Amino acid sequence: MPIGSVILAFIIGALIVAVTGANPFDAYSGLLCGGFGIACSQGENPALQLSNTVVFMIPLLTTGVAVALPFRAGLFNIGAEGQLLAGSVACTAIGIKFAGLPAPVLIPMVLIGGMLAGALWAGVAGVLKATVGAHEVVTTIMLNYVAQWLVRYLIIGGPLQLAPGTSRSSPIGVNAQLPTLLPADNSLIIFGLPASVFRVHWGLAIALAAVGAFAFLLWRTSLGYEIRAVGQSQKAARYAGVSVRRTIIVTMLIAGAFSGLAGAIQISGVDHSLTDKYFSDTTGFDAIAVALLGLGSAVGIILAAVLFGALHSGGAIMQSDSGISSNLVLVLQALILFSIAANFVGQIARLIPGIRRPQALPPELPPAAPLMTEAAAPPPEPA
Amino acid sequence: MTALGDILHLLFTANLWQAALAAAVLLLLPALGGVISERSGVVNIAMEGMMLTGAFFAVVANLAWHNVWLATGVAMLSGALMASIHAIVSIRFRADQIVSGIAINIFAAGLTVFLVNRIYGVQDIGHVGQSELLPNINVPGLDQIPFFGKVLFQQNVIVYVALILLVLMHLLLFRTRLGLRIRSVGEHPQAADTAGINVYAIRYGAVITSGLLSGLAGAFLAIGVSNTFVPNMTDGRGYIALAAMIFGKWTPFGAFVACLIFGLGQAIYDNNSIIHVSPYLLSMLPYLLTLVVLAGLVGRSTPPAADGLPYVAGSE
Repeated sequence: MPIGSVILAFIIGALIVAVTGANPFDAYSGLLCGGFGIACSQGENPALQLSNTVVFMIPLLTTGVAVALPFRAGLFNIGAEGQLLAGSVACTAIGIKFAGLPAPVLIPMVLIGGMLAGALWAGVAGVLKATVGAHEVVTTIMLNYVAQWLVRYLIIGGPLQLAPGTSRSSPIGVNAQLPTLLPADNSLIIFGLPASVFRVHWGLAIALAAVGAFAFLLWRTSLGYEIRAVGQSQKAARYAGVSVRRTIIVTMLIAGAFSGLAGAIQISGVDHSLTDKYFSDTTGFDAIAVALLGLGSAVGIILAAVLFGALHSGGAIMQSDSGISSNLVLVLQALILFSIAANFVGQIARLIPGIRRPQALPPELPPAAPLMTEAAAPPPEPA
Repeated sequence: MTALGDILHLLFTANLWQAALAAAVLLLLPALGGVISERSGVVNIAMEGMMLTGAFFAVVANLAWHNVWLATGVAMLSGALMASIHAIVSIRFRADQIVSGIAINIFAAGLTVFLVNRIYGVQDIGHVGQSELLPNINVPGLDQIPFFGKVLFQQNVIVYVALILLVLMHLLLFRTRLGLRIRSVGEHPQAADTAGINVYAIRYGAVITSGLLSGLAGAFLAIGVSNTFVPNMTDGRGYIALAAMIFGKWTPFGAFVACLIFGLGQAIYDNNSIIHVSPYLLSMLPYLLTLVVLAGLVGRSTPPAADGLPYVAGSE
């Protein structure tokens, strides 16, 4: 089914390209070349393209998990972006402040700091949901924008700004940087290019481990059981002795930690400083597509992250080779979301009950609590 | 303390309130769209995308035909077209309305820049001539009233239109039979259906109306407040409108009050150089205030009961 959604999206995307007077084959061969190093017409290096795809894929893995895990509990985390930004801010701040520490101490510090910041960001939404029933979709949207403006403040005129007039932070210490898989050595030639151009870093291993941890947590621990139980039916979960409130908060904290890890890895492994690129970052929204397309499973998330990593990497090559805007990638992504949501959401909903909102009120909440759930009282009529 | 005094002084100037009202209207139009859509039971977080689409097509049409009214109409239609995608996907196909809304926003962001590139080749779309912008209109006589004349009667044409739409939306929802139907469909579609109301038709109409209103806001932004289109120029305004809708407890006038608060904040920042607070920190305020409201610290805010639930005819 997900493959069908992707194919349908590419067909509609081709029509849009054709209608606007460009050649869809040029567009898609550019994407294929940029994404997987296949069918390159301008002599691009296939190994470099694959390396770029992997670099784009890494944050999608952990943010994909950050969306998929709350789905299982019946929560829709569209705040992965804000949580990621919180994580990258924490990583940058720690990486600058403690630049003198040795790498074996500092790298875990920036990564854990990023996870804690992400958890804090998501935790706000979790606590509001569990205590007053504020819908997590709305609260996470608001938190996304708070994070986005916070980043702008910090690096334009704020305490992390590199120098007046710039819109970037100081670089983090060398010891806070995740090493690349290949040595950053220009004299070493691999696949016909200096080894330093291949930017794949050890964050790949961390992100894959995080996906593994997600699967283990969900299927092999009692917390995972509780998360799934809450997602299936809050009422039944409660009869089984599960604290729905606690599970909601813990789920959001863990999800936020995964997103925050993505942000920390991006800073530590790729960018090494917080830049204006982060204002328009969309990883947290791509993650929603990754989680939905991957049907919320670990293997599915990895496959979907490969696809979206390839699309991002391919967009740049498509634009330079065929002159078609890399924004076509966003169009394709939206089309994939539409076709999953419109045609297959029923199937997905049966696999992941989490997509639906919870059907019942947790009774431990006071009956008069202002809840944003179906069972809440209707809005008062204006006099 | 002089800074505080300066702000107080500023609060008594007509210029400030004139700017605040214009900024509020930019948020009010999509917020009204959100109110009618969610009152009918369709969650709509797609105002951002519909507004952006409207802004883009307003500029395209204006550059092509040099007619600001035609351009505004095209903007509204393009917003409605985006809305009808959301409507079809979420009403006909019963898709998750939040996923569909996110998809609309991503679609609009990608498609507008993609089309700039296809139609104009370069990144720069070009500018609309000063004479072809949505005009400011001074209401003869009334605009001479001290203070209020400037605030209320020396405004852009869209400001008057939006204020009329605000009153009409309130009357529609709470004083007409159709409004009762819209609300009943949002609260209890099964009961409404039993009473002979066409749930689907009402919901399609409400969602498409939200697109028309958001498209109009897009036109005001691109060929009223500004004179060109830049990528992602809505910059979260559609989401602030969503916040205003929640802040205003899903009522037109409640949303308007929220828009005024947000607009006033914007105007205070634009009109003075005394406050040495980062504009970026100030920009967080609408979102933080909404979180405070959601936390129940300023009274509860509850959506329509069937908001977000697809309706299946004959279901329980």
